[in-house]
Amino acid sequence: MVRYALTGVFVWLAVSLPLTATAQSANPFEADPAAIQAGRQMFAARCTACHGADAKGANGPDLTEIWQANDDDGRVFAIVRNGVEGSAMPPSQAPDNELWAMIAYLRSISTVPPFVTDGDPARGREIFVENCQRCHRVDGQGGALGPDLSRIAQVRSRDALVESIRDPGASVAEGYRPVRLLTRSGERIVGAVKAEDAFSIQILDTNQRLQGYRKTDLAAIDRDEDSLMPKFGRVKLGERELEDLLAYLGTLRADRADIGGNRR
Amino acid sequence: MRMRLILAAVLLAPALPAAGQSQPGEGVSYADILAGFDHPEQWLSYSGDYTGQRHSPLTQITPENVDRLAPVWTFQTGTLSRGRGFETSAITYDGVLYVTGSNNYAWAIDARTGRAFWEYQRDLPNDLTYGRAAPVNRGFGILGNRLFMVTLDAHLLAFDRRTGDVLWDTVLADYKIGYAATGAPLVIDGKVIVGISGGDFPTRGFLDAYDPATGERIWRFWTVPDPGAPGSETWSNPDVLSRGGGGTWMTGTYDPELDLIYWGTGNPNPDYYDEDRAGDNLYTNSLIALEADTGRLRWYYQFTPHDTHDWDANHVPVLADVDYRGEPRRVVMLANRNSFFYVLDRVTGELLLGKPFTATTWAREIGPDGRPIVLNEDGSNGCLPDQWGGTNFYPPSFDPELEIFFVNFRETCATYVPQAPVIEPGVLSVGGVVWVDRDQEWGGLRALDIETGKPRWEFRYPSATMAGVMSTAAGLVFAGDNEGNFAAYDSRTGENLWHYQTGFRIWGTAATTYMLDGRQYVLVPSGAVLIAFALIE
Repeated sequence: MVRYALTGVFVWLAVSLPLTATAQSANPFEADPAAIQAGRQMFAARCTACHGADAKGANGPDLTEIWQANDDDGRVFAIVRNGVEGSAMPPSQAPDNELWAMIAYLRSISTVPPFVTDGDPARGREIFVENCQRCHRVDGQGGALGPDLSRIAQVRSRDALVESIRDPGASVAEGYRPVRLLTRSGERIVGAVKAEDAFSIQILDTNQRLQGYRKTDLAAIDRDEDSLMPKFGRVKLGERELEDLLAYLGTLRADRADIGGNRR
Repeated sequence: MRMRLILAAVLLAPALPAAGQSQPGEGVSYADILAGFDHPEQWLSYSGDYTGQRHSPLTQITPENVDRLAPVWTFQTGTLSRGRGFETSAITYDGVLYVTGSNNYAWAIDARTGRAFWEYQRDLPNDLTYGRAAPVNRGFGILGNRLFMVTLDAHLLAFDRRTGDVLWDTVLADYKIGYAATGAPLVIDGKVIVGISGGDFPTRGFLDAYDPATGERIWRFWTVPDPGAPGSETWSNPDVLSRGGGGTWMTGTYDPELDLIYWGTGNPNPDYYDEDRAGDNLYTNSLIALEADTGRLRWYYQFTPHDTHDWDANHVPVLADVDYRGEPRRVVMLANRNSFFYVLDRVTGELLLGKPFTATTWAREIGPDGRPIVLNEDGSNGCLPDQWGGTNFYPPSFDPELEIFFVNFRETCATYVPQAPVIEPGVLSVGGVVWVDRDQEWGGLRALDIETGKPRWEFRYPSATMAGVMSTAAGLVFAGDNEGNFAAYDSRTGENLWHYQTGFRIWGTAATTYMLDGRQYVLVPSGAVLIAFALIE
């Protein structure tokens, strides 16, 4: 997997001007194609050094996840306007219209329209509970080894979901990459890498226990596997069942604007 | 009564300074700076001495006992450079640390306890240009009782080291058109040498010498020549000469016997877009050797002619006197952002070695004429190092006994897409974008053999680092990494012997060390804190 980030332009926003927030929360340019195009260019010039060319994060966080997690446009506007105290994110003095256009662009690449399927969402939910819920959460129910899927239909197309189900190793986000550890005492642990440095590794293991290990305590660190998620091929999950599962996943567009904060 | 008086007098008598050292009340003399590491209780310049080797003779902390190294105190600055680092090297003199921080804060700190004597913060204008993008500072210079610091609005200040009061304030350049200043001044006999930032804006680089007493300018060397002057023929469009870049933002080194200053210069402007600047673009991306008295150019060597990658040569040029391939040589060594390691004769500028020290497809080799044989200019034919380079401005170190050059390296994979920028004073003009494959990025510490340029050993980090290196005569290399570890390695083998997680990436800085009260301290900035380590007693 190749993850590109566009850099080479500085985050070019003021750092020392009086801060102003806005009471407005609806984006005047939402889904406006001209504004989205202008916002794309402004994003490329001002934000990519930290957030990457595809907004999926470089030194700064993945911005395509913020709608998935919790945000409405007004909250994103306030963050861009005010910056994030204590972080590398500076406040902006750009005109309101420019900020709304950039946010319209970000939203356009962060959310996808509802997709069509003739599957049965109720049957799909049963399949989900049986096969997926141990590792994936929906509305707070389920495991933490895989990504939260509560708003997955907002951010992943039907094709992307099919690929993730049939061939999960094709694209694994940082934070979910698999690792097998062998300790010097002979214990074998499998999990997802959450963080790593030259001397230690931090994982969520398949028992969903957060645990850090000193590399001096490990006999082997094996990263050969593509994904912790098993492949759901046609034998394991037939075409009809896949449609049912997609029908259920397609309903997962929950609005969770009540939950604040950004996790990185 | 008489006995008590005598006893009191003895107790109050200050410790006598070693021969040749000035009294603390007089402050730092040029002889003190010249003596460098001969006085291990001091660290009086960015690199600790004029050679730039950042190699201390201190041996209390050894490979055998370094596992007992522990924090003694931490100093919280309360100020952070957004997206950058705490990039200072502390001046250490008479038990006091003189430290500059982000956003032009500065402090005098008790080296025993980490308590501040005074704090200074400059009132900066709201319309900074380069200084807004990189609000960093890399340290003070010192002479007498004066400290010298450059500012983000491109001034040079002198302070009274005892009070933090500003004694004089000299304008280096107009910050509004893109200039800023971030480097530690280099103090030589009767001069304060100061470089400038802003090569990513349409500015013209220079190196200046100032009178330490008055702040008056003694000379200026323009890194991009005047029209008609030697070197101007390497620019196709004379209009570009007045805004051709060539920043000098990293502290250079000095050979007092040759009376030559060695200084690296930065990228031509625009960084990636080259339509209006055909030619080599002298003296950008070069090492320049200037006569200290006059600022006249003695020789230059251009590492990256006609650069389109922002591969500044703003590195510490490391000076050493070595037997090189059987011949005594005064050399200058530099691991460059373009991924080649260079050794030059520092008397003549003759190239002795130029070999890649990271993976690159940019150039096959350095040809017999001293120019790179370029194969892949934009990364369309295999990876190139990204715009942060195979290494960067953060300090390397050199162990003269082992003749090993220690450098934190960056393995990256980038392609460059130039775009015509708007050329306007005060407006960033990098002229393009760079695609970096984040999945092919890693880093580490390499020990380069200076005769071959090949690594004798390496230690790997998970990501590309922006942290520097210091070594000691005890056989230790101290290096930081991007994950926040500060670590010690065996100089001969590269074995990791100790590490400490500082809690924030170590970025744009390297450790310093000094003796105080019979104890060796190792100091490293990280995030917004300065941490002092010593052996557990």
